[in-house]
Amino acid sequence: MEYLVVSTLNGVVHGLLLFMVSAGLTLIFGMMGVLNFSHAWFYMLGAYIGFTCTRTIGFWPGIILAPLLVGALGVFVERYMLRRVHKYGHAHELLLTFGLAFIIEEVIKLFYGDFPVSYQMPSYMRFAAFTIFDTNYPFYRLFIGGVAGLIFVGLYLLLTRTRIGIIVRAATFRPTTVEALGHNLPVIFMGVFAAGAALAGLAGAVAGAFFPTSPNMATDFGTLVFVVTVVGGLGSVEGALIASLMIGLFISFSVGLNWALADLFGIVGLGPWAQAFGGILTLKLSTIANSMPFLLMLFILLVRPAGLMGDRQ
Amino acid sequence: MTAIAPAPTASAGSGSDVQIPSSPVLELRDLRKSFGETKIIRGVNLAVKRGERHALIGPNGAGKSTLFNLISGHYVPTSGEVVLNGKQIGGLQPHVINRLGLSRSFQITNLFPRLSVAENLRISVMGQHGYRFSMFRPVAGLTAVTAEVDQFLEKIRLTRRRDDNVGDLAYSEQRALEIGMSLATNPEILLLDEPTAGMSLEETAYMVELIRTVTEGKTLLVVEHDMSVVFGLCDQISVLVYGEVIATGEPAAVRNNPKVQEAYLGEEVAT
Amino acid sequence: MTRLRYLLILIALGVFAILPVFLSGNLLNAIIKMMISALFALAFTLAMGQAGMLSFGHAAYYGLGAFAAVHAMRFVEAGAFSFPTPLIPLAGAAVGFLFGLLFGWFATQRSGVYFSMVTLALAELLYTLAPTWNSLFGGESGISTIRGASWGISFGDDAHVYYLTLFWVTLATWCLWAFTRTPLGRLALALRDNEHRVRFLGFNTHMARTLIFALSCLFTGVAGALLAIATEAANYTAFSSKASADVVLQTFIGGAGTFFGPALGAASMTFFARVTSDLTRSWLLYQGLLFVLVMLFVPDGIGGLIAEHSKKVKKGGYKALVLPYLLCLVTGLLLLAGVVFLVESTHILLSDGYIAKTKSSGGAAVPFSFFGQDFNPRSWVTWSIPIGLLLAGAALMPAAMKVTGRAWLHATQSAPAQGETA
Ligand SMILES: Nc1ncnc2c1ncn2[C@@H]1O[C@H](COP(=O)(O)OP(=O)(O)OP(=O)(O)O)[C@@H](O)[C@H]1O
Ligand SMILES: [Mg+2]
Repeated sequence: MEYLVVSTLNGVVHGLLLFMVSAGLTLIFGMMGVLNFSHAWFYMLGAYIGFTCTRTIGFWPGIILAPLLVGALGVFVERYMLRRVHKYGHAHELLLTFGLAFIIEEVIKLFYGDFPVSYQMPSYMRFAAFTIFDTNYPFYRLFIGGVAGLIFVGLYLLLTRTRIGIIVRAATFRPTTVEALGHNLPVIFMGVFAAGAALAGLAGAVAGAFFPTSPNMATDFGTLVFVVTVVGGLGSVEGALIASLMIGLFISFSVGLNWALADLFGIVGLGPWAQAFGGILTLKLSTIANSMPFLLMLFILLVRPAGLMGDRQ
Repeated sequence: MTAIAPAPTASAGSGSDVQIPSSPVLELRDLRKSFGETKIIRGVNLAVKRGERHALIGPNGAGKSTLFNLISGHYVPTSGEVVLNGKQIGGLQPHVINRLGLSRSFQITNLFPRLSVAENLRISVMGQHGYRFSMFRPVAGLTAVTAEVDQFLEKIRLTRRRDDNVGDLAYSEQRALEIGMSLATNPEILLLDEPTAGMSLEETAYMVELIRTVTEGKTLLVVEHDMSVVFGLCDQISVLVYGEVIATGEPAAVRNNPKVQEAYLGEEVAT
Repeated sequence: MTRLRYLLILIALGVFAILPVFLSGNLLNAIIKMMISALFALAFTLAMGQAGMLSFGHAAYYGLGAFAAVHAMRFVEAGAFSFPTPLIPLAGAAVGFLFGLLFGWFATQRSGVYFSMVTLALAELLYTLAPTWNSLFGGESGISTIRGASWGISFGDDAHVYYLTLFWVTLATWCLWAFTRTPLGRLALALRDNEHRVRFLGFNTHMARTLIFALSCLFTGVAGALLAIATEAANYTAFSSKASADVVLQTFIGGAGTFFGPALGAASMTFFARVTSDLTRSWLLYQGLLFVLVMLFVPDGIGGLIAEHSKKVKKGGYKALVLPYLLCLVTGLLLLAGVVFLVESTHILLSDGYIAKTKSSGGAAVPFSFFGQDFNPRSWVTWSIPIGLLLAGAALMPAAMKVTGRAWLHATQSAPAQGETA
């Protein structure tokens, strides 16, 4: 029981964090179809901006400044870089943003060093929200969850209650038609890209104060954010939320479980044989927890390429 | 059996002196297709006899291209049968259907834009000669393939542009190549989707003439909007309206069919 | 023209053949790595440039090839069976091909971005699985082995490895080149242009794409095996998404639309990494800048640039280009010098050693030395150097671009007419 509750709580928070980081990519990759590899690096940048602000002007200004600055960077990247290479196709977008990721990471290392920095939340936020099975549950986790919830609601309303979502999606297929309808596409694309980047920046500033802020924090999310977007369904915010929660719960549960494929064979009496065979059959679920998201993504891509909540391919 | 050898059977324009008994090459039996809730093809029955030049006409959005997509394997029918030479082919993969002797062209030009004209044709011819996945001999050594490519170039009158990129061709030249590519897989029956769409008067006349000569001896099913093309090229006409064939027959009969006049041809034919 | 090309290739091979006579172990090693990455890029291009399949997970087959080779070498080492060292790359080829067929069969059911995502997922799966799978991948530390002597060659000498690599890379390159001339090689180009149409011409495109992908993986496996032979080890990091991305980057910097471009790109990027990583800790920053600049300004890559020149520049046209290109070079160097100055001085000023020095000096300005020169960090003179360099570069840039554009028109003027009559 304790295991169940604690794992669920951890999984949900981890999932919400994942959602926060990937939410922006749902706009950028999911809707605009831009393969922005540097998305997780935008997230890292947000964390370092937050860190710098706590050292100078305070935590809350940082929470506001991080999305603004990263969003501004997004404007620059879209306007002066991605737009130029868009006509050459996906590979060029990917490579450009890959180079960008290098640059962001190295500049951060240049100024902040190779090791984690101590980005801390304000002390008045450092208390236990409640205690469960003798474990204190930090308030800040609830805060992260709350911000993720706000992002979700905001995006959901933006995409369903305004016509932005429809316009952007139509624009990726029939740009000339949409332009003929009087929409200023370049500005809309720039705005959406900037919003996506800003969301990553916000996620960084919020999450960085709780999870370690280090030059490696982007690499950990680098491909995972794509998993979330693809599994959820390109451009679907609900899908991204569900996928994030699934992955978060999956990982937090499998970490504690020592099941192996060999146990399955045990059920039909082939246990000893499987144990002797070794290799992939005796790998514990806990040790392959990190592979799970990719297994999930593979499964989705092959069985239901539109993703959990996507309408059509 | 190369594509060039004219079959002794059909001389263009008259389906009456066909020697092989008039078993249909292609037959559609109560064919239906829905996209979600919308029924696009609603029970089409159609027979195309050997050596026939069959036109499929109908207003925009009637479902002509959809019908072609069903026959050629791009879509899977919701129900009903597509029968090619007595074999049910509905729902088979496009490449299987092609090898069974049915080839099609596309309404929107569908070529390999970064390859040369000869290379476009070579892909078609190569597969026909059984060099599909062959990787141990250079294409330059396949003299039979090269010779046939040159023959097709001659036929569609693009020899002059042999080594030019397809992307650089004029529109009418691309349309000719489009037909040549479909023809080069040596099909028994050829489906052409609006071969003269978007062409000027002279270009259209040129194209009709070209189609007539290159498809000598083939069974033909053509979607066409231009009535002069239809009456000039075909000896059978079927009219598709709202996913249903409302009339089939010889041009004169269809022309005078009151249902057709009302539904489609209207004043155009009444004059 | 073709005769000239053959002559060039022969000369290049001759030069490669005698290199070990002149070069030391370290440089020879660098060249081995360059050749291997060149082969990797060429193999990748078979899937990407020719068949249009943008694989984000080619490191999977590179790594598998490496592990296959290491295992084969260990079996030989343990005396389980005997297999000549020079033929070890065949193990990489076999494993690469088999996994290429298996994984490719899944991946090629999708196209476009979805194809890329499947390949990414497969590679990441291996990357996350390998460190936990001790018996096969040796956990986080990987597996190491030693090259056995065979055919009377010890393979203990760098030169031996060099010739082995040279032989295999040459052979594989020839195979890849010959492949482009076969029916399947031509079909690959058609698949890249328009897979949909190929289907209606009687080809099973899923099979064709799987086969082409697997062939690309075969040669990737050879490259991986050569790496394992050279380093006598294999490690799970070979599967990382960074490794997958590297080959994509190198290919596009070289020019995915040409045959030899990717090899050129891979070799030069490997060399660039080798040199700059010795010189500065921020070498990845410079590499990132290079990627961005190439994508923005040379989207067709080095190979594309060369092809463009050899196709379009008319006889004697190069004369008009020399000065403008020199101007571009000067502009680039000015900007580069400015950036390097800023980055490297920041490095020094923020280093622990320097901070300690300022502390002990009681707040007085401590000069820092850089390129054998002392600079005062508090003096405006110091910072006016990089800023001046950057401003000068920025000022020259519009002029350089304009002059180059005009010269290019001059140098190629008669070319369009030529194209029409051809
Ligand atoms: N994949 C699809 N999904 C949904 N609807 C479709 C699809 N393909 C075609 N339709 C619809 O089916 C109808 C028939 O289209 P089709 O292209 O077959 O018409 P057509 O007779 O070829 O017209 P045209 O003369 O303009 O070429 C159209 O209303 C079209 O919108
Ligand atoms: Mg149509």
